[in-house]
Amino acid sequence: MKIEFKDVALQYAKKEPLFREVNFSVCHEDYVIIRGSSGTGKSSLLRLMNRLLEPSSGEIFVDDKPLYTYEVTHLRRKVTYLQQTPIIVEGCVAENLLLPFHLVSATKPAPSKEELRKWLDDLLLKDVCLDDDAQKLSVGQKQRIAFIRCLLLEPSLLLCDEPTSSLDPTAKDILEQCLENYHLEKNIGIVLVTHTDVKVQKAQVKKYILDSCRLREL
Amino acid sequence: MQVIEISMWQLFLCLILVMITGFCSIMLHLKLEKDLLIGTTRTFVQLFVMGYLLKFIFQINTYYLVLAFFTWMIFWAAHAVKGRTKERTIPLLFPTFMAMLVSCMLVTIIVTSLVVQVKPWYKPQYFIPIGGMIVGNSMNGIAVALERMLSEMRKQRDEIEMFLCIGANCQEATASIVASSIKAGMIPSINALMTVGLVTLPGMMTGQILAGVNPMTAVKYQIIVMLMLTTSTAISCIILIHVVRRICFTPAQQMKI
Repeated sequence: MKIEFKDVALQYAKKEPLFREVNFSVCHEDYVIIRGSSGTGKSSLLRLMNRLLEPSSGEIFVDDKPLYTYEVTHLRRKVTYLQQTPIIVEGCVAENLLLPFHLVSATKPAPSKEELRKWLDDLLLKDVCLDDDAQKLSVGQKQRIAFIRCLLLEPSLLLCDEPTSSLDPTAKDILEQCLENYHLEKNIGIVLVTHTDVKVQKAQVKKYILDSCRLREL
Repeated sequence: MQVIEISMWQLFLCLILVMITGFCSIMLHLKLEKDLLIGTTRTFVQLFVMGYLLKFIFQINTYYLVLAFFTWMIFWAAHAVKGRTKERTIPLLFPTFMAMLVSCMLVTIIVTSLVVQVKPWYKPQYFIPIGGMIVGNSMNGIAVALERMLSEMRKQRDEIEMFLCIGANCQEATASIVASSIKAGMIPSINALMTVGLVTLPGMMTGQILAGVNPMTAVKYQIIVMLMLTTSTAISCIILIHVVRRICFTPAQQMKI
């Protein structure tokens, strides 16, 4: 899967444009890091990719077809978005992980308890049980649950909106390591927006900076 | 039993009560004097205008005039609901008006034609007061439900977006908010069903008893009123909350508020 921006601009009503003339592309083999200070529109850039927002001008293409020609609920399962603050709904860990499989847009059967257990173990959540109340987990654990929930969708691209900003250094390292591992092993494209340093060891990283309304490659 | 007529000077005697309130407001620096004065004046003017209008409609006694008057009442109720919500990004007046029109009209016609069996069904002496109670109650219910829905949508924006990001449509993303909003709108009506006759002596029953009606007849009317108010509030809330939910999202399942 390839997402391509052509002269994309975003401007909220009666405000200065957040960015303009954004031209860039990302595919499932890429690990992209977009940096920029707060308020420059990094999150909005991600939200354009899974159509939570519409561009003010320009066009976005997915595999050379306009983004709007795709059925949006299916597109969002392929281009998944990991929010800055993990959102965990009332219920146990398993219920939270299986949320995407109870939706109308679900096409695959829900994973078994054994599979879910393996995901938790892989993400160093060995002490978390599937029946535990998910609200009582730490922020770092919640972020990893949200991360697994995204990966269970088997996305082609994972959009990460400062996913480590509310985590302590240990939890941050774990999540960054997981992101890299899944990028390399499962061939999932990663687009990570951040204003802090990100540790990436093996993956080839494309770095961009969003500054003065423009996106530039570093 | 003869109804005791109230003369104009008796009515103005009531102003003493308002003056007591105004005096308290001055003494306690509540600054409510102006509002009290405007409110009292409006009560007199609005109710007298309503009285003359009703007198006119009762005399003409045609279904289209009764329905037009009822629609006019619903419009102002919808206007009041819109005024109570702070939301300005999405249009609320038309959906509120339509939801109330459907539910209030439906329930009022059912009550007058099937339950009370008024002949003709639009007889204004029955249709207007019954409809008025239905509109008033629905208005309060949907104002609560709407306010709850819009505030919860803003508060739970991240949660809604999480659902959208994993492939949910707007119905799935807001299912719990919709349910809790309808519930919130219904609670006053349900509470009224629980406490009627114990804590409160309802307005219509009191009015009928004052007008000399047998208390048992008044009770039967009141039971009809309580049930119809609950039904109309439920229907209005259900229609409006579902319509507004739809308006709050674009066809591409993006939040508008």
